[in-house]
Amino acid sequence: MPSSSEDDVAERSVLLPKPLHARPAGQLAKLAGQHKENTIELVAGEKKANARSVLAVMAMGAVTGTEVAVTVTGPDAPAMADAVARILNSAEAADA
Amino acid sequence: MTEGLGLVGIVLISHSAALAEGAAELAQQIAGGATVVPAGGIEGGGLGTSTDRIEAAIEDADAGSGVLLIPDLGSAVLSARAVLADLAGETTARLVDAPFVEGAVAAAVAAGSGADLDAVAQAAEEARDAVKF
Repeated sequence: MPSSSEDDVAERSVLLPKPLHARPAGQLAKLAGQHKENTIELVAGEKKANARSVLAVMAMGAVTGTEVAVTVTGPDAPAMADAVARILNSAEAADA
Repeated sequence: MTEGLGLVGIVLISHSAALAEGAAELAQQIAGGATVVPAGGIEGGGLGTSTDRIEAAIEDADAGSGVLLIPDLGSAVLSARAVLADLAGETTARLVDAPFVEGAVAAAVAAGSGADLDAVAQAAEEARDAVKF
């Protein structure tokens, strides 16, 4: 077993290469929904969102160049935080 | 998570075929992989809701894990209720009171992640409290 516990916390910071539009928001929410044992919090400036809520993530209105702080708690937090960062880094340019 | 069965399906019931189709397209794009079936308009192309279309959409959306019905306004609720009464005991479809677009998107994302019918319904209902910005 890898050394992970319920108390694992991992943080990442991503400078958005593209706006955080609906599609990547959906990907984040889907990932969060598939890992209910984890909590994924996003902070962009004054805005905060739990990644589980696609509507909250979209409401952040994070545009290109925004720094998004990701905090994941729960089992395998570092791997989850990497997965979140991957989605944020590959956010699409299309406004969908 | 649902096991051994497909994902929860979603039916969007609107007075307008174009509105139902557009909302379904949007929700499906965002969720990637969810089943969202439009049931909008009436035979002949006018505005209104059709029990036949709703019933057919429920059948299309049902993969064995239940179906969530999201109505747009007023009589869409009545039509949905008429269908549910008609199918009494033969369907796991459930009607939910949620905003049409936000509810559809939130429900589709939840369904796409494998959530069960209770959780998908809850995601749709919670959309009422979501701010847009």
